[in-house]
Amino acid sequence: MDFSKAWFKKIAFKLAHPSILFWVMPFMIILLIVGTLSQKELGLLRSQELYFSSYFYMLGFLPLPGGLTLLSVLFINLLAKFLFKSEWSWAKSGTIITHFGILLLIVGSGISYLTSYEGYLTVQEGQTTNIVEDYHQRTIVIRQGNKILHETLFQAVTEGMVLSPSDGAFSVTITKACYNCGIIKRPEDEQDGWTKPGRFMQLVTEKNDPQDEKNMTGIEFSVTGAGQKSDGKYLTFDKFPKPPQIIKDNKTYQISIERAHRSLPFSITLEKFKQDFHAGTEMAKSYQSVIKVTDGQTSWPVLIEMNEPLRYRGYTFYQSSFDLSGDKPYTILAVVENKGRLFPYISTFIVMLGLMMHLGLRLSKRGKEND
Amino acid sequence: MIKFLVSFFLIFLSGVSYAESVIPLNEFGRLPILHEGRIKPLDSFARIELIKFAKRENPNGLIPLEWLARCIFDPATAVQDKIFLVENAETRHIMGLEERKKPFYSYTELLSGLEKTKSDTAHLINNLPDKLTREQQDLLSIHENALQYTQILRSFSSVLPLDVSLPLDWKKQAGLTDKNTVNFINLQKISPALEEKIKNIVTAKGEDPNKYNPTELELVMLGWKIKTIAEAGQNNNLFRIIPISGEGGFASPWELINDGKGGPKSQNILNNWVTLSHAWQTQDAGAWADAIDSINYHYLSALPENYDSGRIWVETIYNSISPFQISFLLFSLSFIFSILFFINHSQKIYRIGLFLLICAVISQSLGLVGRIYVMDRPPVGTLYESILFVTFIASLLSIFVERRIQNGIGLISGAVVGVILSLLAFSLVGEGDNMKVLGAVLNTRFWLTTHVLCITIGYGWCLLTSLLAHIALVRQSISRKREGDNDDHHLSHMITTHALFSLLFTTIGTILGGIWADQSWGRFWGWDPKENGALLIVLWLIWLIHGKIAGQISQMVWLGGISMLSVIVGIAWVGVNLLGVGLHSYGFIDGVFWGLGLFSALEIAIITTMVIIINKKKKVLNAV
Repeated sequence: MDFSKAWFKKIAFKLAHPSILFWVMPFMIILLIVGTLSQKELGLLRSQELYFSSYFYMLGFLPLPGGLTLLSVLFINLLAKFLFKSEWSWAKSGTIITHFGILLLIVGSGISYLTSYEGYLTVQEGQTTNIVEDYHQRTIVIRQGNKILHETLFQAVTEGMVLSPSDGAFSVTITKACYNCGIIKRPEDEQDGWTKPGRFMQLVTEKNDPQDEKNMTGIEFSVTGAGQKSDGKYLTFDKFPKPPQIIKDNKTYQISIERAHRSLPFSITLEKFKQDFHAGTEMAKSYQSVIKVTDGQTSWPVLIEMNEPLRYRGYTFYQSSFDLSGDKPYTILAVVENKGRLFPYISTFIVMLGLMMHLGLRLSKRGKEND
Repeated sequence: MIKFLVSFFLIFLSGVSYAESVIPLNEFGRLPILHEGRIKPLDSFARIELIKFAKRENPNGLIPLEWLARCIFDPATAVQDKIFLVENAETRHIMGLEERKKPFYSYTELLSGLEKTKSDTAHLINNLPDKLTREQQDLLSIHENALQYTQILRSFSSVLPLDVSLPLDWKKQAGLTDKNTVNFINLQKISPALEEKIKNIVTAKGEDPNKYNPTELELVMLGWKIKTIAEAGQNNNLFRIIPISGEGGFASPWELINDGKGGPKSQNILNNWVTLSHAWQTQDAGAWADAIDSINYHYLSALPENYDSGRIWVETIYNSISPFQISFLLFSLSFIFSILFFINHSQKIYRIGLFLLICAVISQSLGLVGRIYVMDRPPVGTLYESILFVTFIASLLSIFVERRIQNGIGLISGAVVGVILSLLAFSLVGEGDNMKVLGAVLNTRFWLTTHVLCITIGYGWCLLTSLLAHIALVRQSISRKREGDNDDHHLSHMITTHALFSLLFTTIGTILGGIWADQSWGRFWGWDPKENGALLIVLWLIWLIHGKIAGQISQMVWLGGISMLSVIVGIAWVGVNLLGVGLHSYGFIDGVFWGLGLFSALEIAIITTMVIIINKKKKVLNAV
């Protein structure tokens, strides 16, 4: 028992050693600089994956600890210090409170990392929706009207892969898949068997764009088993306004690349979209969406505007963007589900309190010394 | 071609050129204009526009208001003003401009170059700025500025007399006598009948002017002139000085005609502006003052409800006294006196230096208060504004430092930080001293007051702390003692306290920024370059403070590290914007990039050298 206690104490003290923090910090600084500079070339999403949300990364030939490793080590070091090496005195109360606030902040960021989901909801004035689309994940969808008969995440797609709708009406064989496709003219001698627009255009793989929203994901595929009229070669891509349609037994199927989506347990109706400009300019002063939330039998109006989101049932809706190009305006609301949302608020207060106490005590001690 | 362009331009602006002004312009400068989303005095408008073209307020000694009055009332003269700065030699070559000591050119000098490069520029417009070369950016900017200048020059071309002669019968139709001059409104009256007449001529004789007789040719030319003037007035909405009810609240003279905005009140005001233009053209100071009184009288009942004359008044005072230039002067004098104090230790010089520093801080604070009142928001919405605020914070703190240690260190710190940051602010004046309105995300007083103020206080505190550490290093490198004296210990303790305050404000500011992001965009932390920059300062301070407490770094490394805060703050505050990515990006500023690079290299060299000198000296002293 004594042995294990001593052993535990030894380990705890080693984990709480200040040299761990002393060596973690320079690595964090390097990570921050490399991860920030890389955004110029890689874009935010990729550099986040590569540096800040990774365990290790390569700096040239040198393997270095990534954000997850460094934050984990920092958390363990700080927790051990907080529990086993804190001087529980009034004089050190500011430091202890500050350390506790930082621990809480790291816990919160861990919870956010594991539980948060971000997407966006697009709805036209007068329309209702409960579909939230993902910012990045693309899927191949086979649908009949609004009914989804097949859905595959794009990451899982390989060339030669065969997909079919749930009613087994036909088969789709992927012949080409590119995350960022370019479009070139299809040579005349290769046009046989292709349906429009694939007869005249073909997809080519291009380097991924650092800004993920600019990547045009696409596939080329052949359809078999749909009958002579519909069997053939097709292509489709992200945001293609007229995705290929397959008709079999008087049923119309559509094959498209869409953003991965999820359904909300309630619906949102856009009643009105308003945009205020600074007088005499085209510079927006504010955006506002007057929406109606319908949950079961109950409906109520809500105003969402910049810096004034709607929070309901664990979801938060932010005024993100809009589209005024059509007959009626569309509002685009960012939707976030994050179970760790409150942690930064609480930890900010604690850290502020701790640092102020620490400084207050330091200054009062100095004052007494001077007296 | 160039002669044609110049003569064409002169014909359609105004026929007569007027003498040097002797007219008082103060009241004129206080007249309101709606510009860039904000009602401001004409004085500010003139300065902002002139800075846009010339990158300074007084190119070749021009007085902004006088230049503006000449532009709108006497454009034929204004096109000769050398106000366009073309700094790039390659751009000057492309535009065929002659080389001169000061590369300022007039509008007429630019015309042939503008014509020559028109087609090249047309396809540049759709490109993103970072895809353009420096020369292309310059060329595009000159074209944009020239276009804007023509808008100003033509502001009153709808009501000013034109150098157009009308045949007698048409003059009668326009309701003019022989003595009357012709303006666009007169021409508009005869426009439908003239159009009909021209149509008949073209139907009868075709489109070849050689087939027309002299009277027909005169009519066709007149029709072409009216059409050209009307086209020039399309979208001319820069000079919004006529209050109207409804959307926007102000309209330009051309908007009144083209869009049918305004009513009898607006017409009265426009008539007063015409009187004002006559007064300018005849240099009649009495008529000028009467016209301004009359405009002000009519404005009383026509201005929008939210119009605040106090703001206009404060802004003109702010413009005329230039508080930040005064502070710069005072900071500079304070710096000289602080150096003198270190040389001869005279208490009199010390007191004068401190007095000057206090006056500089007061002047800086008055400037900031003026901006807060005028903009009705905290003065930290742009990079330029944040520099002004950081200057205030760092120099104010230096006074408290001086009050505590009373040995001149606080005095010289405040003066140095004031001079350096003021120079930095002046270098950015073209980018931001126009008290601009903010976009929707930034348009929140609460978050500007909490997060942005907090983080900029942190920047200011960091810079002062860094400066104190520099001074500590200098003292140690020139001192001949093995151990520091009482002043050194005092300074060392003070640096630690200030480092902790820096950590407090940068940490809270950074976390508050995360909370603002959570409120606006739905995520607390997005690894955006600006967020990472702020975190970099926090991590740097945590590393140094904990290293010092745990005894893992020596006093020398501590001082060197704290001195390096200036570089870290420079990167976090200004440098990350240069990446041109992320939600906070303000765009790449070429001069800032090289300036920051040079500053960082110099700082690293200076700090490293001082640390090496101190270490060597210690070794020698220890060996003795």
